[in-house]
Amino acid sequence: MSNQDILDAATLKQDDALIPQSGWFERSETLQKLRKNKKFPTIWCSGCGIGIVMGALIRAIDHLGLDNDKVALVAGIGCTARMPVYMDFNTLHTTHGRALAFATGLKIARPDMKVIAIMGDGDALAIGGNHFIHAARRNMGITALVVNNAIYGMTGGQYSPTTPLGGRATTAPYGNVEPPFPICDLAIAAGASYVSRSTVYHALELDKFLAEAIAKEGFSVVEAVSYCHTTFGRFNKLGTAADMLRSLKDNSIPRSALERLTPEERAANTKIVRGNFVNVDRPQYTQVYSNLVTRVQAGER
Amino acid sequence: MEQGIALPGQPPVVAAPVKKGPRGEVFIYANWCKGCNICVEFCPPKVLAMGPEEDHPRIVAPEKCTACHFCDTHCPDLAIVVRKLD
Repeated sequence: MSNQDILDAATLKQDDALIPQSGWFERSETLQKLRKNKKFPTIWCSGCGIGIVMGALIRAIDHLGLDNDKVALVAGIGCTARMPVYMDFNTLHTTHGRALAFATGLKIARPDMKVIAIMGDGDALAIGGNHFIHAARRNMGITALVVNNAIYGMTGGQYSPTTPLGGRATTAPYGNVEPPFPICDLAIAAGASYVSRSTVYHALELDKFLAEAIAKEGFSVVEAVSYCHTTFGRFNKLGTAADMLRSLKDNSIPRSALERLTPEERAANTKIVRGNFVNVDRPQYTQVYSNLVTRVQAGER
Repeated sequence: MEQGIALPGQPPVVAAPVKKGPRGEVFIYANWCKGCNICVEFCPPKVLAMGPEEDHPRIVAPEKCTACHFCDTHCPDLAIVVRKLD
């Protein structure tokens, strides 16, 4: 094979779609918020829902018109916690499960910042479970985005606190025997002031909830139900990424539709309930704290 | 030439029916695409297609795009941009 043949073969393999069309990057508002010097494509598996959540988060921040320097993204360890790496905001990559602990410190030091803690289900509820309930109890002004894919994806598919009963995983080869943690119920019980749940199929609804949560003063939780087709889907024979995305569409029900059902049907419901569960105003921690500082500095005892 | 009038020996000129509703333009940046097939399976008017040996989708029917923005909101790799045409 001569050099000319190799060159010809390379020319033949050249695909038009591989050449970026002029100005394609500028066509999308979403892409403007990505970190330009990072290596793309992302590290996630082909078809992973975390990328859809990233798009929704960027659209939500874009919708609120926040300045990039006024937003801080805090993440722990895991597939989901790789998300801030690709986005052009202030970012903090911390130890496993401690995203909310670092975010609490950041919020106290800089109360003017919009702090968003991005966590996976294991990061938020297993390793960082205590931080989660205490951040909700204090009503810290943090938005907790919990991406629930029901498994520890990055470490090889061990079962997590949100793996459904009977779901198979690397460490539960005959099915999980532990009941899963209901993230939204936990956040409501612990005292969060905004709690919503949506799925990655309903990406535009997720945009709306994220925008509401970021605009909220107190502790706000958004559970984004995602999927892991490479480990959970493979162990449980749930098909490809597109099949799992379609099953999120079929197996979810809006909260308004659930309330129209009879009590018996409601009790028998096994579908994922989407919607806003709590939206109340409670005194936010940094405001209470700065009021205290003002009072004490004025000489009050 | 007016439509529907046939010249001697030639078939009548009939313009393609103009589709109603909004139209869109799809861009795929294949360097970021991982070929997960989500856009191809969910696209309502089947604008995109991907063969078994291909690693990224192709735009097979650009005129059918209705700018529903399903593919660009659900692309996990942000590799699709849809622009609404006026």
